Amino acid sequence: MTWTLRIGLPSATLALLALVWEIGVRAGGAQGIAPYPSGVIAAGLRLIADGTALAALSGSLGRVLIGFGIGALIGVPLGLAIGTLPALDRAIRPITDSLRSIAPIAWIPMAILWLGVRGDAALFVVAYAAVFPFVVNAAQAARLVDRAHVNAARALGAGPGLVLRSVIVPSTLPLVLTGARIAMAFAWGSIIAAELAIGIKVAGHGRSVAGLGQLMVETLYVQRDVNALVFYMLVIGAVSFAIDAGLRHAQGVLLPWTRR
Amino acid sequence: MDPTLAPPILDIAGSASAMEPTLAPPVLDIAGVGKTYVSTRTGESIEALRGVDLQVRRGEFLAVVGPSGCGKSTLLSLVAGFAAPTTGTVRFKGREVREPEPARGVMFQDYALFPWRTVLGNVEFGPFARGVDRTRRRERAGDLIRLVGLEGFEHRYPHELSGGMRQRCALARMLANEPELWLMDEPLAAVDLQTRMILQDELLRLWGDSAAGGGTGERPTVLFVTHGIDEAVLLADRIVVLGRRPGRLKAVVEVDLPRPRTDARTSPAFTRLVEHVWSLIRDEAVRAIAEETN
Repeated sequence: MTWTLRIGLPSATLALLALVWEIGVRAGGAQGIAPYPSGVIAAGLRLIADGTALAALSGSLGRVLIGFGIGALIGVPLGLAIGTLPALDRAIRPITDSLRSIAPIAWIPMAILWLGVRGDAALFVVAYAAVFPFVVNAAQAARLVDRAHVNAARALGAGPGLVLRSVIVPSTLPLVLTGARIAMAFAWGSIIAAELAIGIKVAGHGRSVAGLGQLMVETLYVQRDVNALVFYMLVIGAVSFAIDAGLRHAQGVLLPWTRR
Repeated sequence: MDPTLAPPILDIAGSASAMEPTLAPPVLDIAGVGKTYVSTRTGESIEALRGVDLQVRRGEFLAVVGPSGCGKSTLLSLVAGFAAPTTGTVRFKGREVREPEPARGVMFQDYALFPWRTVLGNVEFGPFARGVDRTRRRERAGDLIRLVGLEGFEHRYPHELSGGMRQRCALARMLANEPELWLMDEPLAAVDLQTRMILQDELLRLWGDSAAGGGTGERPTVLFVTHGIDEAVLLADRIVVLGRRPGRLKAVVEVDLPRPRTDARTSPAFTRLVEHVWSLIRDEAVRAIAEETN
């Protein structure tokens, strides 16, 4: 298949779909309920121009990054310890497994009770979602550390600190970064859910642009703007794609020895 | 040393040790060593070694052979200090071995090169771990990389190298610490036959095969685990034959072939020694294979 066809075919499909969609909505007179391409573009341009979209996006992203960071700070050391010490693994497995099985968004009511209808509740949920991929992958990474590499380093004169820095960290990094990608996807998924759940209350408190989720709730109940809702959905998708592409790129840069 | 120039008292001491080399304190003393470990998979106890007594002279090239499952690698890891013996002691230069140390260099069966470090990064790791400054360790690593013929590949990662090149890299990494004892666990097992023969010759050259006199202390001491009997005969001063289940010392064969040995592969004496060692382990090797296939 030639390059023009490879790019042209999917583009043509998309263009055709957009055209049919646009005509369908306009012909049916359903503009208030159903979104349509030109409306989504117009809403997007307006929301970008007045700064609403960017403010909400940075609010959500900020919380995701902090939650992700908390997840990494707790999850990576805990996972490495679990993977290194089978007794610890046995001892706390009932706790980690049962907590891991509870969907992060199921914690939202509890988080609202403890932390109120502020961003903190969403942050809690995000950190909760992010911590387990780190724990699980770091534990597996620690189990897979090659004893021969540790022994080689020791025989060459490395003490415990250098073994940790020069063997354990690089050995576990590939899987930990895989965990980071999953954690980031979970975190980004839960921030939207958490903000959706607590958003309407926040709107009443005059903090309407705290995050994308809150903004979507407000858009739904206050503005009733379906085109803006679709624009936010596209933003959420694009951000998640960009983050994962960035992390994949980071894997290549941080792990040059895994490039084949 | 010219005996006419030496004081008589030293001459007597010197000739005594020449006749009875075992009277000189061995650099490595393995006394009554046994090792039983618990399998993490099945939970059963496995006795890998029992009552091994062995003294290794300074500068001696010692090969360890035996059928699979005879505890060759276990013995090596005890000498390296990776694990403690269940019974008996391992002494290196009079001190009991408890931990690995740079003076006892190890070359692993599958090289155990650090995949996240380049050739240079692997070779300079030893000096780096011992705190040698960057300029000096780079210089040392560069010399060794040239010595093993890897110049031009300094910045390649192990997965970009051929088997023979990885082997050379592992050798250079071990040599970077200038160890007095080389512990080598089937280092040539994973390369093809031609590469192996070339590497055997290079190993002999690096150890000092053509240098005058054996056991003078100028050569490093080598403990070389192999399953290649001809390889053992080619390289070693003595061959330790281990029996299996549990691994124990079965025989020690003196290899009296003159050095340098690089052209000895086809001599009748060489062939006779290979056959002799093979006759010592054949029955157990056959049984080992039968057990493995069952």
